[in-house]
Amino acid sequence: MTTTQAAPPPGPTQERSPSPARGSGGGRLTPGWLPWLLQAPALLVLGGLLVYPLLWVVTLAFQDFNLRELRTGGFHWSGLENFREILGDPTLWKVALPNTVVFAAVNVALTVVLGTLVAMLLLRLGPWLRGALTGAIMVAWAMPAVTGTYVWVYIFDTSDGMVMRLLSSVGLADPDTTNWFTDRGAFFAIATLNVVHHGFPFVAITVLAGLLTVPKEVLESAEMDGAGAWRRFWHITFPLMKPVFAVVVVLSTIWDFKVFTQIYLMPGGSGTNREVLNLGTWSYVTALSQNRYGSGAAIAVVLTLLLLGITLVYLRTLFKQEEL
Amino acid sequence: MRVTNTGARRPRGVARGVVGGLAALSLMTACAGGTGGDAEISTADGEVDGSGETLTVWIMEGTNPDAEPYFEEVSQAFEEETGAELDVQFVPWAEAHDKFVKSIAGGTTPDVAEVGTTWTPEFADADALVDLTGAVEDAGLDDGLVPGLVEAGTVEGELYGMPWYSGVRSIIYRTDVFEQAGIEPPTTWDELVEAGEAIEAQDPEMLAFPVAGDSEFGVAPFIWGNGGELAVEEDGTWTSAIDSPEAVEGIEFYTGLATEHGFSSPAATTWDEADLSDAFARGDVGMMVAGSWTPAALLEANPDLEGKIGAFPIPGPDGGLSPSFLGGSHLSIFNTTEDPDLAFALVRLMSTGELAEKWGDQSGYFPGTTALLEEIEAEGDPLVAPFAQQEREAGKSVPVTPLYGQVQGKKTVSAMLQKILSDKADVATAAQEAAAEMDEIFQRG
Repeated sequence: MTTTQAAPPPGPTQERSPSPARGSGGGRLTPGWLPWLLQAPALLVLGGLLVYPLLWVVTLAFQDFNLRELRTGGFHWSGLENFREILGDPTLWKVALPNTVVFAAVNVALTVVLGTLVAMLLLRLGPWLRGALTGAIMVAWAMPAVTGTYVWVYIFDTSDGMVMRLLSSVGLADPDTTNWFTDRGAFFAIATLNVVHHGFPFVAITVLAGLLTVPKEVLESAEMDGAGAWRRFWHITFPLMKPVFAVVVVLSTIWDFKVFTQIYLMPGGSGTNREVLNLGTWSYVTALSQNRYGSGAAIAVVLTLLLLGITLVYLRTLFKQEEL
Repeated sequence: MRVTNTGARRPRGVARGVVGGLAALSLMTACAGGTGGDAEISTADGEVDGSGETLTVWIMEGTNPDAEPYFEEVSQAFEEETGAELDVQFVPWAEAHDKFVKSIAGGTTPDVAEVGTTWTPEFADADALVDLTGAVEDAGLDDGLVPGLVEAGTVEGELYGMPWYSGVRSIIYRTDVFEQAGIEPPTTWDELVEAGEAIEAQDPEMLAFPVAGDSEFGVAPFIWGNGGELAVEEDGTWTSAIDSPEAVEGIEFYTGLATEHGFSSPAATTWDEADLSDAFARGDVGMMVAGSWTPAALLEANPDLEGKIGAFPIPGPDGGLSPSFLGGSHLSIFNTTEDPDLAFALVRLMSTGELAEKWGDQSGYFPGTTALLEEIEAEGDPLVAPFAQQEREAGKSVPVTPLYGQVQGKKTVSAMLQKILSDKADVATAAQEAAAEMDEIFQRG
């Protein structure tokens, strides 16, 4: 849904030092309106593409809005009715919310850990190998989610996919009794492979950029003092790279919370298997397959609020510690 | 902006008057970015001069494997008749519904479009379509239209979709497999099970009758055949009936082909009709519920199946036929059109006579008129006649209400099937859950 495409929180990497432009008193060469003028094109684009749809979805969420209203443009305010319906629906508490939150938590953790490990591997390689490996993982990143999902579904096809053939040839699975896609755990395991595979290259490249800025001398002196690799990572690299990790974790959280394509395109993901709905697919199925735009928008608003809440709490804890 | 030519029109009847305002209205709507006008057809059977005009037409992609030459022919004929040009755009079925909805919202609907029969009430309810009732009568087209298609296109007594073509699902089977197993096409449900057992006995690797979990039209014949209904209407209110004893028994039989008799596979639980056809084309399937348009695609995918495919109507429990979903497409005119008369001239051209017949021949669908349908049945093609029989004797529509579109959007019936096939619920429970879901949608209205 459009609402979930919230902009990443602005620059957690920025230094918290007072800006030199401010407080310098007299002799200012730039009039106060100039920065706004210069920002205007960007603000207009952001406003048109992000703020307007966001506001529109929020207003939709408070309306009884169906196909007829879509054509005639009429308004039927329904107050909190849509939210009452969503919050009273067991689908939210038993299916969509756990599927969204647990899936995001697992995927963020796996993506960041795998990405970091790959970044550390890349750091140790020579320029040629590093280039080749970076190129290879960029392919995974560049692959459109639709294509990637179809490939994973194809690999895990339950009648004659590659994995089923392999497992059944060693007697670990039986195509006559198994369909992974109808099982909630297996379904999300396959989706996890897909999402982590698609998401780790970004983490790897970003963390690698961060790692390259960690001063070698500090690490070398720590090594001479007898600190092992583990300690060096947690006591030197990690604290120095905290802003970088903040960015990749927050962005991964946002992406993995609003994952849609990778679920919707899997067998059963478009609504036939109710156990695997997440907030994104539930919202889509409600709004667009049933033309109940109001209710679908309400789900999207719930998802957005949840995401904003988690991001806020996360950023606060991270930077509070830093300021102490 | 196009100039609407009102010169060739004459007002017909008071009810459909308003011609004077029409030109102004169409100009207004064009200026307003086409937010939709109240377009009405004034000339249904007369000459329409559309020189210099262009009609935008949306046609679903894939129905006719060779649609482009066909539409070149239509364009030519239409230009000869009216002087207007056609801009034909092909839209894949899978994204068509979304595309229609978005264009309805944005006022960018085409002039004429092929609309799936289950969508027509929905779009009509949203006030997006032009009422064709009077025009179809005036043009003398209302006799001999396939009743199921008229029913599906009628909302509150008014016709919003001109029947264009129809299709129906029956059972497609492998004639070579049947011959080897020494069996005949079954005529009762017991015989269907016996045939499945014979196929499994001969070749255990073969799926005698895969039950696709994501195919609501696969289970419907067995509900209807057993005397059940999906939902019933009383005094304008719909109530679910999918949990009635008759319906549950039908669902039990159908899913039992998989769960009890083992004619299917776990993989089929998440199959849709396309997956089912793929499996048949690979040669893995003995019998399947499939549409009259399927054989051509099967042969294209696997030419080795030539001469090995047959069809029979879906049998009733103790003989006779089980009704099967009669689907297809209407030709509808959208409210945003600037020249409804010209649009209707195209609808008339495409849904009658030689061009309609040719479309049926090429696509494997049946025409929307009974006269053409009877002609086809008389030809007796073994891959066509059983479907024609099914359509004429036992074709049935899903509940005709925009609310049932929501039920389909929510995939209520498929969800029920998957629950049963993956052993997450027994038939009665799953049917009750589906019924509750339908009723919730019906009550919300």
